[in-house]
Amino acid sequence: MLSVTMLALAGQLLGAAMPLASGTDVEHGRPSATSAEQSGDQSGDQAQPPVTFDPTRFDSLTALSLRSFLDSAAEQGLPLGPLINRALEGAARRVSGARIMQVVRAHAAAMAEARAILGPTTPVADLDAAATALRAGVDEKALSAIRTSRPAGSVVIPLMVLTDIVQRGVPIIAARDAVTTIARMPSSDDALKGLQAAVAKNSVRGPGMAVDALNRYLRGTVSGGNPPSAPATTDRKPIRPPSP
Amino acid sequence: MTDRDVLPFPAPDQDDADIAARIAALYERTPATEARQADRCARAVLAQSMHQSSRSALGVSRTRWWWGAAAAAVLITATTRPWRGVVSTQEADSAVGRAIAAATLSGTVTPSDSAVRFDLTLPTSASAVAIVGDFNGWDQNATPMASRDGTWSANIPLTPGRHVYAFVVDGKRWIVDPLAPQVPDDGYGPANAVVIDGGPQ
Repeated sequence: MLSVTMLALAGQLLGAAMPLASGTDVEHGRPSATSAEQSGDQSGDQAQPPVTFDPTRFDSLTALSLRSFLDSAAEQGLPLGPLINRALEGAARRVSGARIMQVVRAHAAAMAEARAILGPTTPVADLDAAATALRAGVDEKALSAIRTSRPAGSVVIPLMVLTDIVQRGVPIIAARDAVTTIARMPSSDDALKGLQAAVAKNSVRGPGMAVDALNRYLRGTVSGGNPPSAPATTDRKPIRPPSP
Repeated sequence: MTDRDVLPFPAPDQDDADIAARIAALYERTPATEARQADRCARAVLAQSMHQSSRSALGVSRTRWWWGAAAAAVLITATTRPWRGVVSTQEADSAVGRAIAAATLSGTVTPSDSAVRFDLTLPTSASAVAIVGDFNGWDQNATPMASRDGTWSANIPLTPGRHVYAFVVDGKRWIVDPLAPQVPDDGYGPANAVVIDGGPQ
């Protein structure tokens, strides 16, 4: 018990001694202090906003555990920004320190797996999106297919769309095939966003409607019959309620 | 003990007693029925009843067993209504649609050159709404949203890339836009994600 208390005090002192500014610009909603050393953001990667670790947002034991874990993650070459964000989100939602540590560890493991699949030079935003996709149930084969569909560009939007439509009930294989098919098209980000919107709008209308919307949208987009901005599902008549 | 003692009705007069005695005597003289003959009679009656042709009375044919079966099938079909599943699905879909329409929780994200505008329409009144995300350190006090005509809005300058966010209503209730891209519930609760253009495709 005494050692735990001493560790906690040491953590507080360490946190107070290190100038980890956590203030945010309320007007602009952007972290006002950045530290590449603390956030672990890679230089030249502007897609991920810098984020700082604020130990005062956590209890002393959680802050100490997080700092130790972030140090080990940095030694493994993992970007710390997404991990710090997951921790800050947990603190804002007022969940327990144990849950925060569990989520941060799981996200770090998913990012390491995503880096092994996508490559060591994958940008932080791509790694974060890929880790999120893995945690949503997307498999390694789907990630590789997404990477292959866009060998040079960012895969953030395809991964975000894939994660979302899988969560809305589309089977992984169908979702992977649809997203990779659209992602191979030039300037396909808008088409992918349209796919997400079509699936999201129809998935709330009943089971099976998400897959139906995906198929209809894919037919309209790939064949060129309908522009991506006009999802094929908008012409579907609403279901008439049965007469009493 | 005689029959007279066990009869539950009043004793008959003498004439009835004589008649009863003669009937009893005749019955006692009647030879016993042979078992084979009784069996033959029963089989004959049963066979005749099974192969009896349809008879009509007053122009209406006598009902047969398949008529009863057909009536039972119609009754069961009308009672259970196998097509009821389709109707239930339609009702469920309509109920979902009505619930969603009633909730009227909707949000929009409108990127522009200088900032990204987040709009949120709530189905119920709220005293304060804030947007939190990885762009403000998930700080509820960092980015309050302004209310106008029932819609809460905030302009946030965001760097290109992917951002995860959520809305906090009255400092307690965390909600997400149901139609915006969502990230999985990783133990905290759902959140939305948005990608600001700017990176290479």
